[in-house]
Amino acid sequence: MATEILLPRQGQSVESCIIIEWKVNEGDVVTEGQTLCEVETDKATFEVEATASGTVLGIFYPADSDVEVLKVIAAIGEPGEDVSALRPADEEAPVAAVPVVVEEQVKTAPVVATAEAGKTTGISPRAKTLAVQKGVDTSTLAGTGPNGRVIERDVSTAQAVTPTAQAKAAAEGLAIPSAGTGMGGRVISADLVSVAPEAIGAAVALLDFPGNATEIPVKGVRKVVAGRMLASLQNTAQLTLNTSADARSVLGYRSKCKAAPEEAGVGGISINDVVLYATVKTLAEFPELNAHYLGSKIVNFGNIHLGFAVDTPRGLMVPVIRYANLMTLKQLSAETKRLAMACIEGMIEPDALSGGTFTVTNLGAAGIESFTPVLNAPEVGILGVCAIQPKPVMNGAEIEFIPHMGLSFTFDHCAADGAPAARFLVSLKTKLAAFELTLAG
Amino acid sequence: MPKTQVICPKESRKAGEITFKPIPINQYKSDYKKEEKKYGTARLVKMYYDMLVIREFETMLNQIKVQGSYQGMEYNHPGPAHLSIGQEAAAVGQSVHLDTDDYIFGSHRSHGEIMAKCLSAISKLDDGKLTTIMEEFFDGATLNAVKDGSHENVKDLAEDFILYGTLAEIFARDTGINRGLGGSMHAFFIPFGSMPNNALVGGSADISVGSAMNKLINRKPGIVIANIGDASMGCGPVFEGIWMAAMDQYVELWDKEFGHPPVLINIMNNQYGMGGQTVGETMSYKFAARIGAGINSNQMHAERVDGYNPLAVADATERQKKILLDGQGPALLDVITYRMSGHSPSDASSYRSKEEMELWEEADCVRAFGEYLISNGAITEADAEAMKTKITSKVIKAMKLATDESVSPYSDINLIETVMYSNGKVEKFDDREPELLEKLEDNARVKKLKRKQRYAYDADGKPYKANQLYTFRDGIFEAMAHRFTTDPTMIAYGEENRDWGGAFACYNGLTELLPYHRLFNSPISEGAIVGTACGYALSGGRVCVELMYCDFMGRAGDEIFNQISKWQSMSAGILKMPLVLRVSIGNKYGAQHSQDWTAMVNHIPGLKVYYPATTNDAKGMLNLALAGTDPVIFLESQKTYGVGELFEKGGVPEGYFETEEGEPAVRTQGKDLTLVTLGPVLYSGMKVVDEMKEKYGMDVELIDLRFVNPLNYDKIVESVKKTGRIVLASDAVERGSAMHNIAANITNLCFDYLDAPPVVIGAKNWISPAAEMETDYFPQASWIIDAVHERIVPLPGHVVEHNYTNGEIQRIARLGV
Repeated sequence: MATEILLPRQGQSVESCIIIEWKVNEGDVVTEGQTLCEVETDKATFEVEATASGTVLGIFYPADSDVEVLKVIAAIGEPGEDVSALRPADEEAPVAAVPVVVEEQVKTAPVVATAEAGKTTGISPRAKTLAVQKGVDTSTLAGTGPNGRVIERDVSTAQAVTPTAQAKAAAEGLAIPSAGTGMGGRVISADLVSVAPEAIGAAVALLDFPGNATEIPVKGVRKVVAGRMLASLQNTAQLTLNTSADARSVLGYRSKCKAAPEEAGVGGISINDVVLYATVKTLAEFPELNAHYLGSKIVNFGNIHLGFAVDTPRGLMVPVIRYANLMTLKQLSAETKRLAMACIEGMIEPDALSGGTFTVTNLGAAGIESFTPVLNAPEVGILGVCAIQPKPVMNGAEIEFIPHMGLSFTFDHCAADGAPAARFLVSLKTKLAAFELTLAG
Repeated sequence: MPKTQVICPKESRKAGEITFKPIPINQYKSDYKKEEKKYGTARLVKMYYDMLVIREFETMLNQIKVQGSYQGMEYNHPGPAHLSIGQEAAAVGQSVHLDTDDYIFGSHRSHGEIMAKCLSAISKLDDGKLTTIMEEFFDGATLNAVKDGSHENVKDLAEDFILYGTLAEIFARDTGINRGLGGSMHAFFIPFGSMPNNALVGGSADISVGSAMNKLINRKPGIVIANIGDASMGCGPVFEGIWMAAMDQYVELWDKEFGHPPVLINIMNNQYGMGGQTVGETMSYKFAARIGAGINSNQMHAERVDGYNPLAVADATERQKKILLDGQGPALLDVITYRMSGHSPSDASSYRSKEEMELWEEADCVRAFGEYLISNGAITEADAEAMKTKITSKVIKAMKLATDESVSPYSDINLIETVMYSNGKVEKFDDREPELLEKLEDNARVKKLKRKQRYAYDADGKPYKANQLYTFRDGIFEAMAHRFTTDPTMIAYGEENRDWGGAFACYNGLTELLPYHRLFNSPISEGAIVGTACGYALSGGRVCVELMYCDFMGRAGDEIFNQISKWQSMSAGILKMPLVLRVSIGNKYGAQHSQDWTAMVNHIPGLKVYYPATTNDAKGMLNLALAGTDPVIFLESQKTYGVGELFEKGGVPEGYFETEEGEPAVRTQGKDLTLVTLGPVLYSGMKVVDEMKEKYGMDVELIDLRFVNPLNYDKIVESVKKTGRIVLASDAVERGSAMHNIAANITNLCFDYLDAPPVVIGAKNWISPAAEMETDYFPQASWIIDAVHERIVPLPGHVVEHNYTNGEIQRIARLGV
């Protein structure tokens, strides 16, 4: 009797997953615990493991299928066993015939091409690796290896141009100089040289229109983010207040942490951690902002579950620090790091991505001076943290330049009014401006 | 070719005739009174008992194979069971006069012989010794399966131990006497003198001779019997083994104490080789005993014996044993018997008539001997029935236990990996003083080597002249001399090993150092050179044998591919194989003397394959091989025998050292191309290094592989990660070259680092030509550069001599050339 491989439920809220990639083919012999495929929920990526050893007798959904959890996605057993009974009725593709055919085409294609044309334009694995590192578009290279193969030296001598610069050059008809000022001599947008105005038309005419473009299906994390953001803007009355806080205390505290002996364990505390901590302390005074607006009712939470935005290779993720109000700064810092890392590595548990009562998003490191954070509905508030910049402050007759941290606070006017929102910012500014007092209290 | 023996034309050309003594046929006369006096009633009855045990044991196996059940117990045994029902008297009679020091080797049809030998040993060993043997064997694993407190005494327990242990072995159980890795055709139990049984027809002949040589040379007690079938007389290596045992030198040249190896070639003549009838169809001797007359003047003391009478066999074996212990071997018995069961269960007996089988059934040796004992009043019918009942219950018990997975789990497949090699280090296999004819420091060659230059260049970097150099062959000599003076069991032989000094002068000086019994010439019998070495090594002694040309491995195929490579693992690690096979790879001598067959030995599991290219490695790697416990194929190129040491600036050390096993040597560092060479191609590789630098400004990292198996890939991987390009070159023909194996692994290990597919360079897939044309046949430096240009990175201005295009790959493959 063959063993069914179910698509496991990854977290309570997950109803379906997208199969990203099958790591095995039908007919492969697998051992228990071996990875069968990689699947993606709206929040994270997981591996589905074989629950039995044997031969993969059936793969019932091809890659890219969106499959309901607890469906049978594959069967493992002895060669020759009939698994048709295990095949789900709604199955998308017939018996994985698609991947098999594709594979055969891939296998035979180069052989035919070689024989017919007598010249390949392949690229060596080493050259490919280097091209990725250097940002070289190998399709533009003339290979100098055997039979025109692109080999390492072709890539290493090729001019590296960032994709942005390449697109800009194409769109604006700019010339690409022989060396750039980017990393490793890469040509960046700023290096592009204008072509004489009268030559632009001719230069552009030589280019394919509209030039390189890549289609990316909207799915996974992107799809979720898109849906939520749109819903947030459509269903709430959000507006943003901007201000800035004296950052000297925060910067001073951060330097002290950095200078502290290693055994103190505070070297890893970042400015973001400090802002999160001050936010938690401030929120405790404004329960109406630590809330969900649900249309017919508003839920004020007794504890603070603080979401924070993380930029990951898969897109924006918002892990939640549960019971942030119970944590010391050190604990908060450690938990923030753990969650952020899990998001970046794609290993975050789906349940850790839900249940927030308030969110902080920080674009300070990117030098953003102010912005309008979009609410993570049904939460009522989201705090945007901006760059720290010197700000002229009148000190008697003197003008003093004092570093200030920008704060952009978006709230839902459906749930709260402007005055308490402004008071929230004032309190937060005070807590940041005298952070060590905040820490003490 | 000893100078002491003069071949005189007058003698050689003298007229005369060869005379033969009559060869006895079935001359034994039954005389119960005499037999009873000689053996005693109890021993005679025990012989009958042993025959009944074998009959019931094999009847059980037959029923399992044919009906799938025995005594109501169902079992499916998918493996082999070559039964010897009908041959019990021959097996039991043979073991009557044998002690545990006497060894018997057998064939694929040897269950009966194992039983007979072990049951005989059990009756001879005292209880204390028996208990120790059983308790120590695999830490009591086999014993614990049968020991349940029900046994009358230790011998009763020991009988069940061997019945069960053998059956568990046949059924591939971890508690079997070879942990299930030997199976029906290979099972054995050394503590009782039952030695490996062999699935190759006649495979045991030369191995037995080697085992007897081990007894002779190391002065161990006992004789060795090769139980082989009548059809094995058609196998060349059987005759090779006989010649090896019969050589004149044992009495003409060796010290007087020795005599010939004590080996009995015992032909279990059951009249058929599978279905081929040896008399009347496939052979011509009519009486297999006739063969002895062609071997030596004592005609191997050959006689035909009635193998259907255990007492006739016992009598003949006793007389032969005495002759063998007296140094007068080898001996030969033609033991007439008949297999009533088929060759195997699939045998429909289409080659023999029902009438013939009925005739032999009427003469059934077990029933006949029982009636003989009853008619002479030794036992009653009731005694015989009681014996049969007891034996049946023992066999039932053995089967019950052997098929019960909780008692007898199947052997773990992963066990095999752990016993493929023993990976031991043994300085010496005996503590006695090694026998030498002179002190090593007094040896003429040792003295001469003191004056040689152990590094090829002087302080100014100028090369020394050839006659000033310490060379590759000197490295071989020093490693051999070291082990000869350390391990008293170490022996070496092969063609021209003694007075000639080895065909390539590696052994010059050893003749003066060593007595005959440690270094001697063999007949031109490559099969038996390796086969006897196998028997010598597995009996506990170190041996280094030589094949003069790699091409001659073809003559020793079975011994290399099936014997020396397999016995360590088929015995579950009980046996060790401290055997070095030195194999010289030739050139200039045409198609049958110029082949590098590394690929063949690389392909065979269980062999280690070393191929040194430098003088330092000749010594360090041979030292390593001669200190180990695994079979090593030690390849040496005749192109390198005369080279001095070019790489180790300190020169080849005078003292003992070992090269690290499996480690390639990086000879030059480079960043642009990795070039891996095997054997003498290292020296072409050095030319490539220079030329690539001078002409194309490329730095080549040259790696001398040294070991084909085992092999540590780390250094090669590291190099390829750096250079992205790799060429692998050896003198073997390109198709199927071992270098392809390595190239495939490198492709896997370094795929993302490769700038081009690995390229393998070998000789042409043809016969090798005459010496004058060899540079168009074996890989040259220029070929390697051509291949780099065509397949890896085009070199500016390079003009190719050789075609390495993809089209050429397809063309030669299509034509098979």
